[in-house]
Amino acid sequence: MFEQLVGKLPVGIGIVDEQFNVVYLNDFFLDRLPHDLRDCYKDTPVTDLFQGQAKFLKRRLKSVFVLQHPSFSYWEQRPHIFPFKSSRPITGEETQMYQNMEILPIKDKSSGQKLACIFLQDVTAQASYFRAQQKLSEALKKEHEAQRKLIRKLDTAQSQLIQAEKMASTGQLAAGIAHEINNPVGFVNANLNTLGQYASHLISICDGVYVQLEQFNNELKEQIDALFQSNHYDLLKEDITELIEESSDGLTRVKDIVENLKNFSLENTEGVQTVDVCTICNQLITLISAQYSAPHYKFECEHEKVEVMGNPGPLKQALMNVMINAAQAIETKGFVKLSVIEKGDSVVIKILDSGCGIPVKHRKRVFEPFFTTKPEGQGQGLGLSVAYTAIEQHQGKISISSKENKGTVVEITIPKQLSCLENESIDRELDSPLTP
Amino acid sequence: MSIVLPLDEEQRDALQELLNISMGQAANSLAQLIETKIDISIPKISAVTPTQLYGLLFETEGAFYTRQSFLGDVHGEVMSVLSQAGLTEVATLMDYEDPLSEEDIQEIILELCNILAGACLAGLSEQLELTTNLNMPTLFQPDKSNFDDLKWQHSLVMEVQFVIAISSFSMRVVFCLDDESLARMKNTLDELLA
Repeated sequence: MFEQLVGKLPVGIGIVDEQFNVVYLNDFFLDRLPHDLRDCYKDTPVTDLFQGQAKFLKRRLKSVFVLQHPSFSYWEQRPHIFPFKSSRPITGEETQMYQNMEILPIKDKSSGQKLACIFLQDVTAQASYFRAQQKLSEALKKEHEAQRKLIRKLDTAQSQLIQAEKMASTGQLAAGIAHEINNPVGFVNANLNTLGQYASHLISICDGVYVQLEQFNNELKEQIDALFQSNHYDLLKEDITELIEESSDGLTRVKDIVENLKNFSLENTEGVQTVDVCTICNQLITLISAQYSAPHYKFECEHEKVEVMGNPGPLKQALMNVMINAAQAIETKGFVKLSVIEKGDSVVIKILDSGCGIPVKHRKRVFEPFFTTKPEGQGQGLGLSVAYTAIEQHQGKISISSKENKGTVVEITIPKQLSCLENESIDRELDSPLTP
Repeated sequence: MSIVLPLDEEQRDALQELLNISMGQAANSLAQLIETKIDISIPKISAVTPTQLYGLLFETEGAFYTRQSFLGDVHGEVMSVLSQAGLTEVATLMDYEDPLSEEDIQEIILELCNILAGACLAGLSEQLELTTNLNMPTLFQPDKSNFDDLKWQHSLVMEVQFVIAISSFSMRVVFCLDDESLARMKNTLDELLA
């Protein structure tokens, strides 16, 4: 009964002697043995019957006989010890059988002969499930990674889009406002000038009357005197000039703002041409050092001339704005260094200052239009926005890194040649400006 | 360690001697199989808390870990720590061909543990006249937090170190017994001592 049971067990059971010759194989092994071997398998070395992993099998059997201790093997490390197929040759799911093996030392009770018993388990289902799971989890991991990358990309794209949108709308708005304001400012300015002249005429008339006062009779003299008094002539005379001067100053400031707004929308008809960056830089240093004398200015370039295709107006404006910021960052002592480096098809312009730096909380906003840390009336917060737009239109990049109380570096990279498509669009944008 | 060992002096000495013999046998078996000299350390017997066990075993750098449970008259687990250094030489001794694949390395680790732990346990069981059956070994990735959560308070551990003379390879085998098995082993030791 036990013999039948062992024969039919759904695990492979094989017994070999110390020479590795087969003593017994159950049906699990026999069913999978080639037909010609089924009658003569006894006393054949097991390593001859199943040759694929003979070396491994020999090693393990030897270990079991020497140590008298079981040995194990798993499908994860060695899936196919015996060259068996796993079920279903018809429905197409046939694969190599995945196997777990255990070899036990046993002893023949009657003869005392040392034997080894091989247990073989078919774990194909388990293995394929495990593998499928692993594949799935790998695919998931990949997908997850791809998604995360995409999200990161989207985030950057979104912030760029917001920035671009902000720039574009502000640019249009600025151009519109500049156009609308310039006209009234023009006539108000003219009228104010005339008003100033009229006021001085009126004052001379009054002063003339006042000088002639002694020649009037007493009654008239008193009346005129009272008139002067009741209208606070002294105060009026003093104040009127000041008021007109102040208004005229205010108007100049309005004009300045409008001028900057115009620059911001880059209305410029010069068009694209060859520009020497070195010349621009030197011009700018002369210009700016006259106004801001505190910093020491340095210029560095390996070449006499570095030429790019671009629009000189906006380019100058951009560099100027960045440089003014650098100069203003230095209150008493420090330096501003300009370096121009040729890098393949692009030119890198670095503006470095040893000034006060930009606080972390402001760093993200420096390119935003109307963002300023200066007291009201001293800055419009347009400098870097203008620079940003100009550099963007030259297909370049502008980036800022800064350390508080150490200094700031602004790096501007522009290509030497503009690509055709953009070239046209710049020309188009720049050729049809809104006239103020 | 300040914890009172659940074994008295005599029991401890006896166990240590038995371990020494069985470890020697284990080393011999392995030496025979891979035809090289193997040195063993004097077995250490101590009582540990789970956290101490973790520190004892798993804070080794550059090591592989395995565990293997055994059943029979006594129940417990064998944990092994294998150095990564010198494994290639051992693999050559075990008839593996260079270069070793990931699977080869895993197989070698599992086999080494199985041989050494099996030989130690077989030797010890034989001396104490107990029957034990070792289950298959598995690779182990210990996690400290899991060790802090373990339910047992103290356990007796028996530790021995094997060093293969010609390479830098070394391996520590640690036996842990559960409470019931410990009581049984104490009785057996007493019988032996009587």
